[in-house]
Amino acid sequence: MDVRTAVFAVSCTGTPRTEARALQKEQQLNQFLADVERRALRIAEIAVRDRDEALDLVQDAMIKLVRNYSGRSKEEWTPLFYRILQNGVRDWHRRQVVRNRVMVWFRRKPTEDNDYDAIAAAPDPTGRAPDEELANSEAMDSLEVAVRDLPARQREAFMLRTFEGLDVAGTAIAMGCSQGSVKTHYSRAVHTLRDRLEEHRPDSIGPAEGKS
Amino acid sequence: MKKSDEEFGRQAKEAFDSSVDRLDAAALSKLNQGRHAALGELDKPMRQWSRWMPATGVAAAVAVAVMVMQSPAPVNELPSAVTDMEILLGEDSIEMLEDLEFYSWIDTVDLEADVG
Repeated sequence: MDVRTAVFAVSCTGTPRTEARALQKEQQLNQFLADVERRALRIAEIAVRDRDEALDLVQDAMIKLVRNYSGRSKEEWTPLFYRILQNGVRDWHRRQVVRNRVMVWFRRKPTEDNDYDAIAAAPDPTGRAPDEELANSEAMDSLEVAVRDLPARQREAFMLRTFEGLDVAGTAIAMGCSQGSVKTHYSRAVHTLRDRLEEHRPDSIGPAEGKS
Repeated sequence: MKKSDEEFGRQAKEAFDSSVDRLDAAALSKLNQGRHAALGELDKPMRQWSRWMPATGVAAAVAVAVMVMQSPAPVNELPSAVTDMEILLGEDSIEMLEDLEFYSWIDTVDLEADVG
Protein backbone atom coordinates (compact mmCIF):
# COMPACT_ATOMS: atom_id res chain seq x y z
CA MET A 1 0.00 0.00 0.00
CA ASP A 2 1.53 3.30 -0.99
CA VAL A 3 1.33 6.46 1.06
CA ARG A 4 -1.58 7.97 -0.87
CA THR A 5 -3.68 4.86 -0.44
CA ALA A 6 -2.89 4.73 3.27
CA VAL A 7 -3.89 8.37 3.78
CA PHE A 8 -7.10 7.79 1.85
CA ALA A 9 -7.90 4.74 3.96
CA VAL A 10 -7.30 6.60 7.21
CA SER A 11 -9.39 9.56 6.09
CA CYS A 12 -12.20 7.26 5.02
CA THR A 13 -12.33 5.52 8.39
CA GLY A 14 -11.84 8.69 10.45
CA THR A 15 -14.14 11.16 8.70
CA PRO A 16 -17.58 9.61 9.33
CA ARG A 17 -16.95 9.46 13.08
CA THR A 18 -15.80 13.08 13.14
CA GLU A 19 -18.75 14.18 11.05
CA ALA A 20 -21.18 12.28 13.23
CA ARG A 21 -19.72 13.93 16.30
CA ALA A 22 -19.94 17.37 14.67
CA LEU A 23 -23.52 16.70 13.66
CA GLN A 24 -24.41 15.61 17.17
CA LYS A 25 -22.80 18.75 18.58
CA GLU A 26 -24.75 20.90 16.14
CA GLN A 27 -28.00 19.20 17.10
CA GLN A 28 -27.30 19.68 20.79
CA LEU A 29 -26.49 23.35 20.28
CA ASN A 30 -29.58 23.83 18.12
CA GLN A 31 -31.75 22.25 20.81
CA PHE A 32 -30.15 24.30 23.56
CA LEU A 33 -30.54 27.59 21.70
CA ALA A 34 -34.11 26.78 20.70
CA ASP A 35 -34.92 26.10 24.36
CA VAL A 36 -33.36 29.26 25.69
CA GLU A 37 -33.87 31.86 22.95
CA ARG A 38 -37.40 33.04 23.72
CA ARG A 39 -36.82 33.53 27.43
CA ALA A 40 -33.49 35.18 26.63
CA LEU A 41 -35.27 37.57 24.27
CA ARG A 42 -37.80 38.61 26.91
CA ILE A 43 -35.06 39.00 29.54
CA ALA A 44 -32.99 41.16 27.20
CA GLU A 45 -36.08 43.11 26.17
CA ILE A 46 -36.94 43.92 29.77
CA ALA A 47 -33.36 45.09 30.32
CA VAL A 48 -33.04 47.31 27.24
CA ARG A 49 -36.72 48.18 26.60
CA ASP A 50 -36.49 47.54 22.89
CA ARG A 51 -37.44 44.40 20.98
CA ASP A 52 -35.07 44.91 18.02
CA GLU A 53 -32.11 45.74 20.24
CA ALA A 54 -32.92 42.69 22.35
CA LEU A 55 -33.03 40.49 19.24
CA ASP A 56 -29.58 41.74 18.24
CA LEU A 57 -28.20 41.08 21.70
CA VAL A 58 -29.60 37.55 21.78
CA GLN A 59 -28.24 36.77 18.32
CA ASP A 60 -24.80 38.11 19.31
CA ALA A 61 -24.86 35.95 22.43
CA MET A 62 -25.80 32.88 20.38
CA ILE A 63 -22.98 33.51 17.91
CA LYS A 64 -20.40 34.06 20.65
CA LEU A 65 -21.51 30.95 22.51
CA VAL A 66 -21.21 28.79 19.40
CA ARG A 67 -17.94 30.37 18.33
CA ASN A 68 -16.20 30.24 21.70
CA TYR A 69 -17.87 27.67 23.92
CA SER A 70 -19.37 24.98 21.69
CA GLY A 71 -16.65 22.63 22.89
CA ARG A 72 -17.76 22.96 26.52
CA SER A 73 -20.15 20.51 28.13
CA LYS A 74 -23.89 21.07 27.70
CA GLU A 75 -24.33 21.78 31.41
CA GLU A 76 -22.08 24.82 31.13
CA TRP A 77 -23.89 26.40 28.21
CA THR A 78 -26.76 28.03 30.11
CA PRO A 79 -24.68 30.11 32.56
CA LEU A 80 -22.13 30.89 29.84
CA PHE A 81 -24.84 32.00 27.44
CA TYR A 82 -26.39 34.28 30.01
CA ARG A 83 -23.01 35.65 31.00
CA ILE A 84 -22.44 36.65 27.37
CA LEU A 85 -25.93 38.10 27.16
CA GLN A 86 -25.59 40.08 30.40
CA ASN A 87 -22.24 41.45 29.22
CA GLY A 88 -23.94 42.49 26.00
CA VAL A 89 -26.71 44.22 27.94
CA ARG A 90 -24.17 46.06 30.11
CA ASP A 91 -22.22 47.16 27.05
CA TRP A 92 -25.46 48.33 25.48
CA HIS A 93 -26.26 50.45 28.54
CA ARG A 94 -22.73 51.92 28.51
CA ARG A 95 -23.11 52.85 24.85
CA GLN A 96 -26.47 54.44 25.64
CA VAL A 97 -24.90 56.56 28.37
CA VAL A 98 -22.21 57.78 25.96
CA ARG A 99 -24.76 58.36 23.24
CA ASN A 100 -27.00 60.32 25.58
CA ARG A 101 -24.07 62.50 26.62
CA VAL A 102 -23.29 63.24 22.99
CA MET A 103 -26.95 63.96 22.28
CA VAL A 104 -27.14 66.33 25.24
CA TRP A 105 -24.02 68.07 23.95
CA PHE A 106 -25.68 68.70 20.62
CA ARG A 107 -28.93 69.63 22.40
CA ARG A 108 -30.90 66.93 20.73
CA LYS A 109 -33.47 64.62 22.16
CA PRO A 110 -31.46 62.11 24.27
CA THR A 111 -33.50 58.95 23.76
CA GLU A 112 -36.95 57.84 22.89
CA ASP A 113 -37.30 56.04 26.22
CA ASN A 114 -39.77 58.61 27.48
CA ASP A 115 -42.13 57.63 24.73
CA TYR A 116 -41.99 53.98 25.69
CA ASP A 117 -45.42 52.59 26.39
CA ALA A 118 -45.30 49.20 28.06
CA ILE A 119 -48.90 48.39 27.21
CA ALA A 120 -48.53 49.41 23.57
CA ALA A 121 -45.32 47.38 23.32
CA ALA A 122 -46.87 44.28 24.85
CA PRO A 123 -47.00 41.31 22.48
CA ASP A 124 -50.17 40.39 20.66
CA PRO A 125 -52.38 38.00 22.56
CA THR A 126 -52.82 34.54 21.10
CA GLY A 127 -55.23 31.78 21.97
CA ARG A 128 -56.43 32.86 25.41
CA ALA A 129 -59.68 34.13 26.83
CA PRO A 130 -59.73 37.94 26.76
CA ASP A 131 -60.11 38.40 30.51
CA GLU A 132 -57.34 35.91 31.25
CA GLU A 133 -55.13 37.55 28.66
CA LEU A 134 -55.78 40.97 30.11
CA ALA A 135 -54.95 39.80 33.64
CA ASN A 136 -51.74 38.16 32.44
CA SER A 137 -50.53 41.06 30.38
CA GLU A 138 -51.43 43.65 33.03
CA ALA A 139 -49.63 41.66 35.71
CA MET A 140 -46.58 41.26 33.50
CA ASP A 141 -46.62 44.92 32.50
CA SER A 142 -46.56 45.96 36.15
CA LEU A 143 -43.87 43.43 36.98
CA GLU A 144 -41.83 44.43 33.93
CA VAL A 145 -41.88 48.12 34.82
CA ALA A 146 -40.89 47.31 38.40
CA VAL A 147 -38.08 44.98 37.30
CA ARG A 148 -36.73 47.64 34.93
CA ASP A 149 -36.50 50.10 37.79
CA LEU A 150 -34.34 47.78 39.89
CA PRO A 151 -30.60 48.46 40.12
CA ALA A 152 -28.82 46.57 37.32
CA ARG A 153 -27.28 43.82 39.44
CA GLN A 154 -30.52 43.16 41.32
CA ARG A 155 -32.36 43.03 38.01
CA GLU A 156 -29.89 40.52 36.61
CA ALA A 157 -30.06 38.32 39.71
CA PHE A 158 -33.85 38.38 39.78
CA MET A 159 -34.33 37.63 36.09
CA LEU A 160 -31.74 34.85 35.98
CA ARG A 161 -33.00 33.19 39.16
CA THR A 162 -36.72 33.66 38.66
CA PHE A 163 -37.32 33.89 34.92
CA GLU A 164 -34.59 31.60 33.66
CA GLY A 165 -34.59 29.36 36.73
CA LEU A 166 -30.82 29.27 37.18
CA ASP A 167 -29.60 28.11 40.58
CA VAL A 168 -27.36 30.29 42.74
CA ALA A 169 -24.16 28.77 41.37
CA GLY A 170 -25.27 29.18 37.73
CA THR A 171 -26.42 32.73 38.37
CA ALA A 172 -23.05 33.54 39.95
CA ILE A 173 -21.26 32.29 36.82
CA ALA A 174 -23.64 34.23 34.58
CA MET A 175 -23.21 37.42 36.61
CA GLY A 176 -19.50 36.99 37.20
CA CYS A 177 -19.78 37.39 40.98
CA SER A 178 -19.84 35.31 44.15
CA GLN A 179 -22.78 33.18 45.22
CA GLY A 180 -23.13 35.36 48.31
CA SER A 181 -23.56 38.43 46.13
CA VAL A 182 -26.21 36.65 44.09
CA LYS A 183 -28.18 35.85 47.24
CA THR A 184 -27.93 39.44 48.44
CA HIS A 185 -28.95 40.97 45.10
CA TYR A 186 -31.80 38.51 44.68
CA SER A 187 -33.16 39.00 48.18
CA ARG A 188 -33.11 42.78 47.83
CA ALA A 189 -34.75 42.56 44.42
CA VAL A 190 -37.58 40.36 45.69
CA HIS A 191 -38.29 42.65 48.64
CA THR A 192 -38.24 45.76 46.49
CA LEU A 193 -40.54 44.18 43.92
CA ARG A 194 -42.92 42.86 46.54
CA ASP A 195 -43.20 46.28 48.14
CA ARG A 196 -43.69 47.91 44.77
CA LEU A 197 -46.25 45.40 43.53
CA GLU A 198 -48.20 45.14 46.76
CA GLU A 199 -51.45 45.86 45.00
CA HIS A 200 -50.89 42.96 42.61
CA ARG A 201 -50.02 40.47 45.31
CA PRO A 202 -50.93 37.69 45.91
CA ASP A 203 -53.42 36.94 43.17
CA SER A 204 -52.75 39.37 40.35
CA ILE A 205 -49.26 38.30 39.23
CA GLY A 206 -49.65 35.16 37.26
CA PRO A 207 -52.67 33.26 36.09
CA ALA A 208 -52.55 30.34 38.54
CA GLU A 209 -54.34 31.97 41.42
CA GLY A 210 -57.22 33.15 39.27
CA LYS A 211 -57.82 29.68 37.88
CA SER A 212 -58.32 27.96 41.22
CA MET B 1 -36.01 32.09 51.77
CA LYS B 2 -39.43 32.94 53.14
CA LYS B 3 -42.43 31.08 51.82
CA SER B 4 -44.02 34.36 50.77
CA ASP B 5 -40.91 35.18 48.71
CA GLU B 6 -41.05 31.78 47.05
CA GLU B 7 -44.71 32.33 46.24
CA PHE B 8 -43.93 35.73 44.81
CA GLY B 9 -41.17 34.19 42.67
CA ARG B 10 -43.52 31.49 41.44
CA GLN B 11 -46.16 34.00 40.42
CA ALA B 12 -43.59 36.23 38.75
CA LYS B 13 -42.28 33.22 36.82
CA GLU B 14 -45.81 32.36 35.65
CA ALA B 15 -46.41 35.90 34.47
CA PHE B 16 -43.06 35.85 32.67
CA ASP B 17 -43.68 32.47 31.02
CA SER B 18 -47.04 33.73 29.89
CA SER B 19 -45.40 36.74 28.24
CA VAL B 20 -42.91 34.40 26.55
CA ASP B 21 -45.80 32.39 25.16
CA ARG B 22 -47.27 35.57 23.71
CA LEU B 23 -44.22 36.41 21.60
CA ASP B 24 -45.36 37.16 18.08
CA ALA B 25 -44.46 35.27 14.92
CA ALA B 26 -42.10 37.98 13.69
CA ALA B 27 -39.96 37.73 16.82
CA LEU B 28 -39.93 33.94 16.68
CA SER B 29 -38.89 34.06 13.03
CA LYS B 30 -36.01 36.41 13.81
CA LEU B 31 -34.89 34.20 16.66
CA ASN B 32 -34.93 31.22 14.32
CA GLN B 33 -32.83 33.09 11.78
CA GLY B 34 -30.41 34.21 14.47
CA ARG B 35 -30.03 30.67 15.76
CA HIS B 36 -29.22 29.31 12.31
CA ALA B 37 -26.76 32.14 11.73
CA ALA B 38 -25.07 31.23 15.02
CA LEU B 39 -24.92 27.54 14.13
CA GLY B 40 -23.31 28.56 10.85
CA GLU B 41 -20.29 29.53 12.94
CA LEU B 42 -19.60 25.84 13.48
CA ASP B 43 -18.80 25.39 9.80
CA LYS B 44 -16.39 28.29 9.66
CA PRO B 45 -12.73 27.29 9.78
CA MET B 46 -10.57 28.68 12.54
CA ARG B 47 -9.28 32.08 11.50
CA GLN B 48 -5.71 32.02 10.31
CA TRP B 49 -4.45 34.66 12.70
CA SER B 50 -5.99 32.95 15.70
CA ARG B 51 -4.02 29.80 14.89
CA TRP B 52 -0.79 31.73 15.34
CA MET B 53 -1.87 33.64 18.44
CA PRO B 54 -0.13 31.42 21.03
CA ALA B 55 3.18 31.44 19.12
CA THR B 56 2.91 35.19 18.53
CA GLY B 57 2.26 35.78 22.23
CA VAL B 58 5.31 33.79 23.28
CA ALA B 59 7.48 35.57 20.69
CA ALA B 60 6.30 38.97 21.90
CA ALA B 61 6.99 38.06 25.53
CA VAL B 62 10.51 36.88 24.64
CA ALA B 63 11.16 40.08 22.67
CA VAL B 64 10.05 42.25 25.58
CA ALA B 65 12.19 40.24 28.00
CA VAL B 66 15.26 40.64 25.77
CA MET B 67 14.67 44.37 25.42
CA VAL B 68 14.35 44.79 29.16
CA MET B 69 17.51 42.78 29.85
CA GLN B 70 19.58 44.58 27.25
CA SER B 71 18.46 48.11 27.94
CA PRO B 72 21.12 50.38 29.56
CA ALA B 73 20.86 51.17 33.24
CA PRO B 74 18.59 54.16 33.75
CA VAL B 75 20.23 57.47 34.49
CA ASN B 76 19.75 58.15 38.14
CA GLU B 77 18.03 61.49 38.28
CA LEU B 78 16.20 60.75 41.45
CA PRO B 79 18.51 62.46 43.97
CA SER B 80 18.29 65.86 42.31
CA ALA B 81 14.57 65.50 41.83
CA VAL B 82 14.17 64.58 45.46
CA THR B 83 16.32 67.53 46.47
CA ASP B 84 14.14 69.89 44.46
CA MET B 85 11.05 68.53 46.07
CA GLU B 86 12.59 68.81 49.52
CA ILE B 87 13.46 72.44 48.87
CA LEU B 88 10.02 73.23 47.55
CA LEU B 89 8.17 71.45 50.31
CA GLY B 90 10.50 72.29 53.21
CA GLU B 91 9.15 74.27 56.10
CA ASP B 92 11.39 77.26 55.35
CA SER B 93 10.13 77.45 51.78
CA ILE B 94 6.54 77.42 52.87
CA GLU B 95 7.24 80.19 55.36
CA MET B 96 9.02 82.10 52.64
CA LEU B 97 6.02 81.72 50.34
CA GLU B 98 3.73 82.96 53.12
CA ASP B 99 5.98 86.02 53.58
CA LEU B 100 6.28 86.71 49.89
CA GLU B 101 4.54 90.04 50.30
CA PHE B 102 7.08 91.07 52.93
CA TYR B 103 10.04 90.19 50.69
CA SER B 104 8.41 92.07 47.84
CA TRP B 105 8.12 95.14 50.05
CA ILE B 106 11.79 94.79 51.10
CA ASP B 107 12.76 94.73 47.41
CA THR B 108 10.76 97.88 46.75
CA VAL B 109 12.35 99.69 49.70
CA ASP B 110 15.85 98.63 48.59
CA LEU B 111 15.13 99.81 45.07
CA GLU B 112 13.91 103.19 46.30
CA ALA B 113 16.99 103.52 48.53
CA ASP B 114 19.26 102.80 45.55
CA VAL B 115 17.48 105.40 43.44
CA GLY B 116 17.54 107.88 46.30
